[in-house]
Amino acid sequence: MGITKEDLDRIKEEAARAPRQNSIRVGYSTCGVAAGADVVYSALCDEAKARGIDVAVMKCGCLGLCSAEPLVEVDVDGAPHVYYGKVTRDVALKIIDEHVCQKKLVDNHIFEF
Amino acid sequence: MKQILIQDTNGNLRKELRDFHVALTTQLRDWGLADAAQVVTVADIGIYQKGIVAKVLPEGFVYVGLEVKHVPEIIEKTIQHGEKIASLAFEKKNKQLRLVLRNCGRIDPENFNDYVANDGYQGLVKALEMGPERVIEEMKKSGLRGRGGAGFPTWMKWNITRAVPGEVKYIICNGDEGDPGAYMDRSVLEGDPNSVIEGLMIGGLAIGASQGVFYIRAEYPLAIERIQKAINECYARGLLGQNILGSNFNFDIEIRLGAGAFVCGEETALISSVEGLRGYPRPRPPFPSVRGLWEKPTAINNVETLATVPYILFHGGEAFGKIGIEGSTGTKVFALTGKVRNSGLVEVPMGITLREVVFDIGGGVLNNRAIKAIQTGGPSGGVIPEQFFDTPIGYESLQKLGSIMGSGGMIVLDENDCMVDISKFYLGFCVDESCGKCAPCRIGGTQMLAILKRISDGKGVDDDLKKLNEIAMAMQKASLCGLGQTAPNPVLSTLKYFEAEYKAHVVDKKCASGKCVKLVSYSIIKDKCTGCGMCGRVCPAIAITGSRADKYSINTEKCVSCGQCFDVCKFGAVVRQ
Repeated sequence: MGITKEDLDRIKEEAARAPRQNSIRVGYSTCGVAAGADVVYSALCDEAKARGIDVAVMKCGCLGLCSAEPLVEVDVDGAPHVYYGKVTRDVALKIIDEHVCQKKLVDNHIFEF
Repeated sequence: MKQILIQDTNGNLRKELRDFHVALTTQLRDWGLADAAQVVTVADIGIYQKGIVAKVLPEGFVYVGLEVKHVPEIIEKTIQHGEKIASLAFEKKNKQLRLVLRNCGRIDPENFNDYVANDGYQGLVKALEMGPERVIEEMKKSGLRGRGGAGFPTWMKWNITRAVPGEVKYIICNGDEGDPGAYMDRSVLEGDPNSVIEGLMIGGLAIGASQGVFYIRAEYPLAIERIQKAINECYARGLLGQNILGSNFNFDIEIRLGAGAFVCGEETALISSVEGLRGYPRPRPPFPSVRGLWEKPTAINNVETLATVPYILFHGGEAFGKIGIEGSTGTKVFALTGKVRNSGLVEVPMGITLREVVFDIGGGVLNNRAIKAIQTGGPSGGVIPEQFFDTPIGYESLQKLGSIMGSGGMIVLDENDCMVDISKFYLGFCVDESCGKCAPCRIGGTQMLAILKRISDGKGVDDDLKKLNEIAMAMQKASLCGLGQTAPNPVLSTLKYFEAEYKAHVVDKKCASGKCVKLVSYSIIKDKCTGCGMCGRVCPAIAITGSRADKYSINTEKCVSCGQCFDVCKFGAVVRQ
């Protein structure tokens, strides 16, 4: 028996009820990967794991701001929800250190749109 | 803790910006508020030509036109008391409306549950409850027209295919996106694959097909991978196959790869390609809705069209039809590229003006140069000069200007772009991609390109422009498929709006933008030269020699007219003629 309408509703409800999780999203489409999103993604994962931080690092599609790729969206408790653009490995490490841990924003890389 | 974001977009306000930053940080310290607010320089707030711009978080107040004298007021009112200063405040309007890109970048494209949690497959649930006729009725209410370029009403295409008798029918998703500079479909396939699958299923239900095909170009490996994963997941969960969601609707999907021919985006050539034949177009009629894939009735829809379908079914056709303008409803995704500050994908409601897209969303032209025109619709489209930028975007309005909406490429051209060069590029693309089956496209394109090359080499003769027009007419009228019929459009529209520029090339043998290298020469004015030597360092032909004392000069024999010395000279000593 395949998935039913009730199953779909259940998945939706569970997701709505799930507690908000600290998350970092990396734009991981062709544009992002070409600009170095793979390096950024692994740097974020490794650093978060090494420090034992509870944050979900996710691969996502393209948000559309291609000139600012690789784009990283950070949504963690205690700090504003922002997008960082033109992220390199070094900036990724700063994001974990300054933004996620110290709750301070990283200079020069925030893009609002 | 508060954050004060200060926008630093590398503009010409460097000094003022630095002063403001210093004043803010020192005064915060003096007030003993250094720990209460963090000053952050940010790359972009998205507001331009408004002087120094800052945003205060968490309140989200945006202040523009800031000067050092405003600092105490900001600290006292906003930082200490969280009040908004009305005289400095600016309301930033978000001009984008993301329906097709609703999930792109927000969900994990490889996570089925993520899509379902964001109303995924609810459109299909509704479609199954409604049945095919009411689905088509809903699509009619929405007014959705094909997003691939031609703008044929989607409901009508489905209705015609549905009405043709036959047990076996097919629906194909056209993912052979080939316009230079356009990548809307790739982003949707990569960022939200399930939305396209859901759209394809709803389309299949509407026309009575139980087989869907994704035709995706092989140059999009990540898109193919994600679509395949999403299809596999749907099969694993029983969302594809027999008795979908407990109904009697059966549907299967397979992927076919395009091998990189532009003409395969044309529907009849696409069908040949799916059948394993050479990608040649066929004469229409019969249209694919009557006799398409394997001689069976077939509906072919573009990726963006299909990604819109679940939204329409879930939110209702009427709600969708209210967005946009009469005749062109809903939203359109554009790939904004070229000489624009924020290149990327934008999704806007129809009816927004070109100026709003380029300046308010795109942030204007790079390096503050003057804008000349924008090119829309890729090699089948045309250019629209600046005086028409206040035209609302719609299928008909762009057509009236001699361009088309097309699949959504939008390339910004500035004063350094030469229109002869632009039309040479697009026509060259179509000549390369012409399949060669019909003579008007094969021979006409080649001849037009030869004339354009002659013009840009300074060998143009008087009746070249007339000849271009004549061949273009013949190609438009007599070519077999859309590729040949529309290939002359970029030439015709540049001729229409920039005839003087063509004449300058033909008669005066001059190219004002310096793009046609055989028509320009460079020299250095001794009096203006400071002897810095930058020009000599960038010259790839080692044509520039000199010293600080003797100044520099260009050896015209060696010069290749690349213009790099012209761009690098800060003193206006290099001149172009």
